[in-house]
Amino acid sequence: MLRVAGRRAVWALPLLLTIIVVMFCLLRAIPGDPVQAMVGDFPVPPAYRALIEEKYHLNDPLPTQIVTYLGNIVSGDFGYSYQNQRPVIGLILERAPRTILLASASFAIAIPLGLLLGVLAGTARRPLADKLLTTSALIAYAIPTFWLGQLLVIVFALQLGWLPTQGIGPMISRAHGFAWILERLRYLALPALAFAIHEGMRIARISRASVIDTLGQGYIVTARAKGLTRGAIIRRHILRNASLPVVTIAGYAFGHALGGAVLLETVFAWPGVGLLLVDSIRLRDNMTVIGIVIVSAIAVVVMNLVVDVVYALLDPRIRTAR
Amino acid sequence: MGERRVAPAAFRGARLRAFASTRHGMIGAVILALLAAIAIAAPLIAPYGPLQQTSASLAPPSAAFPLGTDNIGRDILSLIIYGSRASLLIGIGTALAALLIGGAVGILAGFHEGVVESLLMRVVELFQTLPAIVLVLCAIALFGSGFWILIGVVALAIWPLQARLIYGQFVRLRGREFVAAARVAGLSSAHIMLREILPNAMQPIIVQVALDASIAILIEAGLGFLGLSDPSMVSWGRLLYVAQDHMGDAWWMSLFPGAAICVTVVGFNLLADGLNEVIDPRGAAGGLP
Repeated sequence: MLRVAGRRAVWALPLLLTIIVVMFCLLRAIPGDPVQAMVGDFPVPPAYRALIEEKYHLNDPLPTQIVTYLGNIVSGDFGYSYQNQRPVIGLILERAPRTILLASASFAIAIPLGLLLGVLAGTARRPLADKLLTTSALIAYAIPTFWLGQLLVIVFALQLGWLPTQGIGPMISRAHGFAWILERLRYLALPALAFAIHEGMRIARISRASVIDTLGQGYIVTARAKGLTRGAIIRRHILRNASLPVVTIAGYAFGHALGGAVLLETVFAWPGVGLLLVDSIRLRDNMTVIGIVIVSAIAVVVMNLVVDVVYALLDPRIRTAR
Repeated sequence: MGERRVAPAAFRGARLRAFASTRHGMIGAVILALLAAIAIAAPLIAPYGPLQQTSASLAPPSAAFPLGTDNIGRDILSLIIYGSRASLLIGIGTALAALLIGGAVGILAGFHEGVVESLLMRVVELFQTLPAIVLVLCAIALFGSGFWILIGVVALAIWPLQARLIYGQFVRLRGREFVAAARVAGLSSAHIMLREILPNAMQPIIVQVALDASIAILIEAGLGFLGLSDPSMVSWGRLLYVAQDHMGDAWWMSLFPGAAICVTVVGFNLLADGLNEVIDPRGAAGGLP
């Protein structure tokens, strides 16, 4: 049981180590002064320069530098952001919950929406209905999320004035309890919706394919032959079997959510990790950039492991496989 | 040898007709042909130059400016026409670069069972760990964003898709009789990989090239939107970057460049769909028994 997941976990560690080493080598490959590459376009006082050179063993051979850097990362030291005057890890930990909130809200909309559309399209008796749903999924998937975000802001925030244009909450809030949650939800609504439409269409495409695949199985014909209604077949057989690939895709997509968040957080000035990454790139704050990349790699690897375990628990064939 | 598909002309004609009969594929092909024509003929059809500023800044759509103007008085329609060049070049260039990298890795991994195979596929997995846009952003942060760097960097982020596909094709085909026959005939490994197996694996690979182009266009647009693409080129993403500051007073600055991205990406996706249908007509099934 869970052997597959176990094997993946064993591979996850060298994978992460490789990414960290590659990232450090990239940082060192920036032409010019390594200390400057670490702190960005800022004048570096000599005392600070000596400190960095000593901390990262910049005057020692590259292998020593790599080992030192790996040691730092393992002990949770991702370096210091000169621009923010704070340790990188503190910055990331402060921002991460906001990105996770945005991604969770989006997937809470996207998964049911995608499954519904996928099942509707896959089981549609008239080809026209299927065509319509597939084509709209195709178009929706081609819409850049950040453009969709801009359009939502223009229509719902600027023209109609129903929702705030950007940010995570008002500058000053006197709301408490339930009113506070409602107030926050108003800020969350548009970015989460833009994200959810994109991810939902991905899930719709996967679940449609999966439904069609399930329909070809013998047990569906059997169920039909023994007189089960259409609704019962969809509920009992199709939905359950078709949701397996959806779990996988949604899980992987959640791990990769930072990709979408980078763009959407910029549209909505949502102060998460994505916006931190963009700001750090603009400020040439390379230590923060690399810290975010490493943390997001860890997030993806952990999420993939979770998906493997959940998948193994859901699918009896994998659960018992050796 | 064996099932090599260097088809006679009549057979190829049949495939072309089959493609033409898929409505998706034809719409996609027409969209892309039009876009290519616009990109090539940009100086002839654009009413204004890409850098030409008029006195009308933030003017709404009108007869003089069909899609309005931007904050410094440039005609949005002309900018979109010129911007098609960046999107198409980067989309197609990246897809081809990804085909080269993914092809090399996929072919080597798929042909050589054992150590080479697992090592190369681990490298593929390594590249797939990070979201493509994060990978690209990181590379651009460290090394800048010229036109060629952009193509290389985006290709480095998306080649694993093509590599996995080609690898899968090679694993499927490497045990076939015609490959064994080629080995017995004493043909070199390079010959077997490139002249025997590859032609039989080509069709899904072409579909993936079209999909890669659409992904690359979206990534490039994203970079432009973040203000991190090649600043010397007019690009649709960059127009949206400027539009971000004018959502309240110039909705046309957002609407039209975004629509252009959308149409192009749909075009590549429809083309891929059409090609896919010709190759694998089973995909079109549906409905409860």
